[in-house]
Amino acid sequence: MTTASIASPDLLEKTPKAPLGRLLRSELRWVLRRPRTLAAFGVLALVPIGLGVLMSMLDIGGTPVVGGPPMLASLLGNGMVLPLAAMSMAMPLLLPMVISMTAADAIAGESSHGTLRGLLIAPIGRTRLVVVKTVGVAAVSAIAVAVLAVLGITAGVVFTGTTEFTSISGTALSFGEGAGRVGLAAAWVWLQMFAVAAIALALSSLTDHPLVVLAVMMGTLIVFAVLGGIADLSWLHPMLLTTGWMSLIDVIRDPMETAALTEGAARALCYIVIGLSATVARMATKDS
Amino acid sequence: MSLSTEPLAATGAAGAAKSAAPALAARTTGLRKVYGNTVAVDSVDLEVPQGAVLGLLGPNGSGKTTTIRMLLGLTRPSAGSVELLGVPMPDGADRALPHVGALVEGPGFHPFLSGRENLRRCAAAEPLLPTEGISRAVDGALERVGLGHAATRKYRGYSLGMKQRLGLAAALLVPRRLVVLDEPTNGLDPAGTREIRGVMAELHEAGTTVVVSSHLLAEVEATCTHVAVLHQGTAVAQGSLAQLLDGGTPTLTVSTEDVQLAVDTLRDNRIPYKSDVDGVRAELVSVTSQQVIEKLVLAGVGVREARRERTGLEELFARLTESDVREGS
Repeated sequence: MTTASIASPDLLEKTPKAPLGRLLRSELRWVLRRPRTLAAFGVLALVPIGLGVLMSMLDIGGTPVVGGPPMLASLLGNGMVLPLAAMSMAMPLLLPMVISMTAADAIAGESSHGTLRGLLIAPIGRTRLVVVKTVGVAAVSAIAVAVLAVLGITAGVVFTGTTEFTSISGTALSFGEGAGRVGLAAAWVWLQMFAVAAIALALSSLTDHPLVVLAVMMGTLIVFAVLGGIADLSWLHPMLLTTGWMSLIDVIRDPMETAALTEGAARALCYIVIGLSATVARMATKDS
Repeated sequence: MSLSTEPLAATGAAGAAKSAAPALAARTTGLRKVYGNTVAVDSVDLEVPQGAVLGLLGPNGSGKTTTIRMLLGLTRPSAGSVELLGVPMPDGADRALPHVGALVEGPGFHPFLSGRENLRRCAAAEPLLPTEGISRAVDGALERVGLGHAATRKYRGYSLGMKQRLGLAAALLVPRRLVVLDEPTNGLDPAGTREIRGVMAELHEAGTTVVVSSHLLAEVEATCTHVAVLHQGTAVAQGSLAQLLDGGTPTLTVSTEDVQLAVDTLRDNRIPYKSDVDGVRAELVSVTSQQVIEKLVLAGVGVREARRERTGLEELFARLTESDVREGS
């Protein structure tokens, strides 16, 4: 320290802010360098690859006796179903787990490390903190879904040896159209996962223990799934985020059935608004 | 090691442009914080003069950290108000905090990142740091706290002292008007403690106001210009170091074998005292040391040695927090 750089009092009239782009870059660098984030991407990558291997094994055996998810039955010889199957298999548990973990680390984890304090003292601004954290979790969600979709298409093409796609209605689709459909499905899955992220961030702002966020979020989704399976509670179903997650397959019908997909998207948007509002409200007064 | 970026319309010595009234870098009025049934801080009126090095002294659990957290707007007071650099907190946090560096409740960093990467992350959030100046500021801060050699090592592998230094480095990323250090020498060896003192002296010289909390008296006595003593959540003494030192009562320590006789004599002469096995300590409230010695000798007390002791801050501290000291030992 050579110069006595004491700011003049009038400097306090201004409110200097770190550029948002710089904060976002810093957040993405942090979240994408975490070993656990990378490990999660690795585990997700196993889903489409595993499905591809399974598919080729069934092919070799020549006996299309397939139990399990009905989608698996149509995997044979159809590369386009593979990314869809990968995404719908990861959607109920694996993806939400990765997203919840990231959201838990984003606020509760930083709080327990004492690093949230540093950001608040900098100061980053409490609302801007939520913006930065939301972008970080959204980015991880996007990459997680992209891993499933891109590796899914790749594995599909590699293991079937054809770039021809067939819709589950039996019509042929060009590679471009098929890839477009998969992209649309990925975007829809990302939106659902963003809704999970919004709720997980709200939970994350309520506690200093990341594991609590993970446990509560996964517990909630399991309860949702159970409630969604009880016919007597059908009045409740439109309010459950998980309702309609099975309609992902509608994307590769020909023509596409959009009703359930649209409804699911609208539901996710409601959860996003509620989750993020709660997070902003909570962070405004959170002790750190 | 120079850390300064472009001088921010700088003035040299702190308060040079100020009027006669001493400007305050921070002030709390009737500050109170209640957690459930526990009153952590109660009616604390703290004044931090600009350019001062204020030692916030108190035993563990006396409310030092809670006070600092309210000062920085991390926690909302239950009652009372906080002004930081002339801005009310926590609502004015966006305006005041860019000029404030702080190390609170120990260093907080990510174990999987290196020291430099951790610091870069802090630097990215610093409003006053231009993007192109980040690398220089980070390396400068690392050098300044003596971590230049360990910059690329993972934080996970840092020793306690190195972690503490990294926390200090984060507070020094930008030239500050106020630096708040909560127990900065925790976990440091004597050399590290000296270095922290050196950094504080540099800050003081540059006109930065420093608030440093500690439960170690010697530390405060050696480095601070002002002291505030907290005890069970309230400020029991506050002022410049010189004031507080003079404010205490000097004592005369008399060592003798005739303790009982000495005690009787002092009591007869209404001189306040404390006694132990090998002597008495007379408080020189309205008498001089000569008078006390004269009275004792005339009464026939065999005075082996008499020593006048100025009240150190340590004694003041011990007296103010006596109950805790006893409970603690």
